[in-house]
Amino acid sequence: MAATPALLELISVGRRLAGRAVLHDVSFSLQRHDVLGLLGVNGAGKSTTLAIIAGVLRPDTGRVRIDGKDVNDDARTLRDRIGWVPESVPLWPELTVAESLDACGRLRGLPGPARKAAIERELARLELTGIAHRLCGQLSLGQKRRVGLAQALLHEPDLLVLDEPGNGLDPVQAAQLRELIGKLSPKRGIVLSSHDLAEVEAICHRVVILHDGRVRHDAKLDASLDDRQGKLDAQFRAIAARPASAAA
Amino acid sequence: MSALAVARIDLKRLAVRPFAWTLAGIALAMMAWQFLLGISAFMHAQPAVPGPASGPGYVDAVVAPYLLNYIQLCLVIAPLITMQALAGERGAQRLALLTASGASGAQIVFGKFAARLVFLWLLLAIVATMPLVLSGATHPDWGQFGAALIASALCVATLTAIGIACSAFTPEPALAATAALLIGEGLSLIDAGVRIVGGEGGWLGYLALHTHLAPAMRGLVRSEDIVYFLVIIVLALALAVRRVGAERERA
Repeated sequence: MAATPALLELISVGRRLAGRAVLHDVSFSLQRHDVLGLLGVNGAGKSTTLAIIAGVLRPDTGRVRIDGKDVNDDARTLRDRIGWVPESVPLWPELTVAESLDACGRLRGLPGPARKAAIERELARLELTGIAHRLCGQLSLGQKRRVGLAQALLHEPDLLVLDEPGNGLDPVQAAQLRELIGKLSPKRGIVLSSHDLAEVEAICHRVVILHDGRVRHDAKLDASLDDRQGKLDAQFRAIAARPASAAA
Repeated sequence: MSALAVARIDLKRLAVRPFAWTLAGIALAMMAWQFLLGISAFMHAQPAVPGPASGPGYVDAVVAPYLLNYIQLCLVIAPLITMQALAGERGAQRLALLTASGASGAQIVFGKFAARLVFLWLLLAIVATMPLVLSGATHPDWGQFGAALIASALCVATLTAIGIACSAFTPEPALAATAALLIGEGLSLIDAGVRIVGGEGGWLGYLALHTHLAPAMRGLVRSEDIVYFLVIIVLALALAVRRVGAERERA
């Protein structure tokens, strides 16, 4: 019996931005139901990697596959299977939360009744019902993040791509986010980037550490949380301390 | 489908923005004033007109100059209403959101163009309603009126497309508005020097907006004029699509 392809595969992905090589030969994969944490210091290439997975940037070299299919072969269909929340959540400040979700549903091509049901589902799931008629421009950062997540989940994607989802959240909101990711992961694969090692240790099944645009560490976090606490921190510090040009 | 969704989002955003309403209010107030001035001049000129058959009619004397004034106003309004279409969206990652949602470069550009065109055409429709109010008393030449309206609509679409292209190519909305204003004014004034001395415009004359508006204002819809407007619209939108499509290759 043929093996099931990974939900997401990055194969030797390279990318230059503004004349500088930002990613070199980045390869990793993600299985269904896994939560993968992408770690790295600022400028390591995390956001670029996530933007490439989301289809917002095209890789210069290498390939990105969803369920074994190259994203460039059928971009529209495969992009419908991805939900992306960038670090600064893109919202239309003049629209209300409900209007914003409706706009995203229309962009995704969801038909009327399905769109309405999806909006109600996400408003309830992300506890946004009370602010459904507030303008996006008037929301707090935590609320904006939840609306961004609702936009990304509207079409029930198989793969969720979250760039620094915990940035700027207070401890209560961060705990709620962890709980939410825990609830979402059984149905989909999740890739998230973060600076918060404790957050990654708490919610991820697998961690990839990027440094200088290269994968320096790729391992499962299969030990219990008590056992692994501190180990990831030590690994991360050791990798981050390497000079940028050092070989992997 | 995505182009319609993009147009819908942008129309909704325009509808709740004080900027768009202020712009529309100022434009309509200025046009109402222009219309009153035109009517007043027409009334004063009545005794000097030898007869209805040989003299300039209501459309010649009032409607055509009035619509030309609206186009002059659009040289400023179109850049202001289009400047944020793409330039403002890039920095806020909203362009990336549209791309990640599966909208192609063409769908994004056409959607944004359509939304702004609907806004400016609605303004044109309100502007055109003012001379229509007096149609019962003035017996306008409907053919000439229609021709002038078609040319005005095409010219507004051309200025909108130029604005969208400038917004696609510049990082800052203010820069986009300046570029669109300069191009619009350039097309408007390119043959002004030649016209002043009464010479033939040649290819400069062909490029000028005035050359393609004047026949329609006299009631003559020429295919070469329609082609001129369509070529600029298609060219500007194609450049914008190309630039937005290349976003994935850029930072």
